[in-house]
Amino acid sequence: MAREVIMPKFGFTQETAEIVRWLKKAGEPVEAGEPIAEVTTDKVNMEVEAPTSGILADLRYHEGDVVPVTEVIAYILAPGEQAPEPAEVAQSGAPAPSVVETVASPAQEQSQMAVKATPLAERIAREAGLELQGIQGSGPSGKITRRDVEAVLSRQPGGKVRAVPAARRLAREAGVALTEVMGSGPDGRVQSADVQRYLASRQAAAVETTLAAPAKAPQPAPMTSVTVESIPPMAFQAVPLTGMRRTIAQRLQKSAQDAPHINLEIRVDVTQAEALRAKANRQRSETQPKVSLTVVLAKACAWALKRNPYLNAWLQSTPQGEQILLLQQVNLGIAVALDEGLIVPVVRQAETKGLLQLAQEIEDLSQRARQNRLRPEEVADGTFTLSNLGMFGIERFTAIINPPQVAILAVGTVRKEVLADENDQVMIRPMLTLTLCADHRVVDGAVAAAFLRDLKTVLEDPQLMVL
Amino acid sequence: MREITYVEAIREALFQKMSEDETVFLIGEDIGVYGGAFGATAGLIQQFGEERVMDTPISEAGIAGACIGAALTGFRPVGEIQFMDFVTLSMEQLVLQAAKIRFMFGGKAKVPFVLRMPGGSGTGAAAQHSESLENWFVHVPGLKVVMPSTPYDAKGLLIASIEDDNPVIFVEHKLLYKIKGPVPEEMYRVPLSKSQVVRPGKDLTIVATSIMVQRALQAAETLAQEGIEAEIIDPRTLRPLDDEPILESVVKTGKVLIVHEAVKMAGFGGEIAARIAESSAFDYLEAPIRRLGGLDIPIPYNRKLEYHAVPQVENILEEARNLAALKV
Repeated sequence: MAREVIMPKFGFTQETAEIVRWLKKAGEPVEAGEPIAEVTTDKVNMEVEAPTSGILADLRYHEGDVVPVTEVIAYILAPGEQAPEPAEVAQSGAPAPSVVETVASPAQEQSQMAVKATPLAERIAREAGLELQGIQGSGPSGKITRRDVEAVLSRQPGGKVRAVPAARRLAREAGVALTEVMGSGPDGRVQSADVQRYLASRQAAAVETTLAAPAKAPQPAPMTSVTVESIPPMAFQAVPLTGMRRTIAQRLQKSAQDAPHINLEIRVDVTQAEALRAKANRQRSETQPKVSLTVVLAKACAWALKRNPYLNAWLQSTPQGEQILLLQQVNLGIAVALDEGLIVPVVRQAETKGLLQLAQEIEDLSQRARQNRLRPEEVADGTFTLSNLGMFGIERFTAIINPPQVAILAVGTVRKEVLADENDQVMIRPMLTLTLCADHRVVDGAVAAAFLRDLKTVLEDPQLMVL
Repeated sequence: MREITYVEAIREALFQKMSEDETVFLIGEDIGVYGGAFGATAGLIQQFGEERVMDTPISEAGIAGACIGAALTGFRPVGEIQFMDFVTLSMEQLVLQAAKIRFMFGGKAKVPFVLRMPGGSGTGAAAQHSESLENWFVHVPGLKVVMPSTPYDAKGLLIASIEDDNPVIFVEHKLLYKIKGPVPEEMYRVPLSKSQVVRPGKDLTIVATSIMVQRALQAAETLAQEGIEAEIIDPRTLRPLDDEPILESVVKTGKVLIVHEAVKMAGFGGEIAARIAESSAFDYLEAPIRRLGGLDIPIPYNRKLEYHAVPQVENILEEARNLAALKV
């Protein structure tokens, strides 16, 4: 029996996932449980595993396609078996279409652009005898998806729309064609809320058109051709802003715009912290990972956060307005740099954990972060973030807060410096620069300063951590 | 108000009706000295004597037939079938005689009797002592079918049933016998064919019968903590059915879950679902109508399997949550 491979749902609110790459090609044998595709949600990269052993076939989406969860993305067949509905196979690494030698006319160009569609969309359209030209694509870069084709088909005579009776009544009463309404229920079923939403948006659109109409300027006449010295085009590589990168972009832009950042800097003598680290490492067993300065910092941060609750907080919008949630536990986000962006796995209840346990968890989380194997809940619910660029030799930097958190600590490199002690004697000490970036809506300068002071105190005298 | 159990409420209804009306008598297996298998008639033989609390041989057809004969000659008998399962032995008497006689005589004869019987599973009594057969009688014109879910309704509905001029199949539930509730000491009637909204709500409608009303109420408590307000309706009389409150509720909530213990296949829930679908309430549905009923199997003897064979609170919760999750 041909077995369907579906796009899995990794998170409660996840609706789609993007296929990053096919790890197996059509026609290749696969074992049950073997990863066959890498996909990315907003938060993490995950692997789709083969549900059974057999031959992988009928890859229905290209790399880069955004696919709704539970959609069939491929089939696994027994040897000699055919896929249930032979469809065009989206071959991984298929040869690029040969370059058209002659200069394309604008009409040809347009038609070539219009047929950018997913294989599934193409097949459905072909079976229904529908021309793809003129269909508005909603996929990445205007690609026509199954949903677009089905939306067009549903508007054709005879196209049936799934709708609950209440939605049909509302649509009838308002004189709305159900085919116009996008359904949010199971299998795209139109609920009455969808009709109401449609009515509201139609009203809003009507208002906009009225406002916009008088302002519409006449189209400028096409420019007559001007001979210009030919300039060689700039070479570039286009990287689509998708998946994780897009999420990072959106979140950070919003944070930079919404949160007034204040940045406070403090310099810490880490002689004692380094000594503690060395001691801890002597206590660890061979199987345990080494305790790094980041681990000591994590412990010290948790300690200082428990004393400064306004730094361990979320600023949240509620229907009643915004509110500050002072969080009882410290869920420490540790920023990990990956090739495709930054990810922040979370050490839960860091304040309850010792150095060796923290080291273990941070090592495990960052290792799996680099393998794209974090579970969605492992990047959620952080209350404060630690970002360390010391390994790059960065002296100090500022960071953008990760909302709804209200602060992030930017950690620089440790550098030996010549200092004067209280008796004006010259001494050489390992110094670390910490920059606290905080949301001024929640955190006053003095509150941020008190936190940094506590952090410095405990790092310079780590015995206080037992308090 | 004073609280008594469901079985005490039934005994009190019998006692008060027998005290008031000499034509009322009881007939059944071991209902006299033994007081009935579940104690519903305990002590009544001492009060009213053997002539009005009659023990019979093990013959359900005989009990039903005697009730019909006595009713035709002016009595108001209350028969007891020890377990609802064995009402199957009296089907000819009930379906062909009791239900038809009034019509066959052009309304010149009436057959006023009540046949009480405990149905339902949950006591580990296996497949032949756990049936929920009420819908067999709901299908027969000429019979009335009553299923009380509380001590208050048990007393009020039993008195109203005894006073009704038609044959009434009065279905009790073994697990309900021990539940307590407020019951007035004086005689009162709960009218037949009046469905009752036992809990108001706005997010979904739960139509439940007999013990499922209690389970739905329990589920509704949990749902309320989750912000879901379930409206619970107990039809109380299954035939003739008062469907107005159900249809009104569906118009209000747009979502409906029907729960009964009897096997779902061809169960009473199908009738409710059909009435909604046939009425103007259909146009207010936000989701397909859902039914929870017994599995399509005889009740197992194994207690764990028995538990899972019929709807439980957790099943109601799951269905209700799914319905409530749909946007309106």
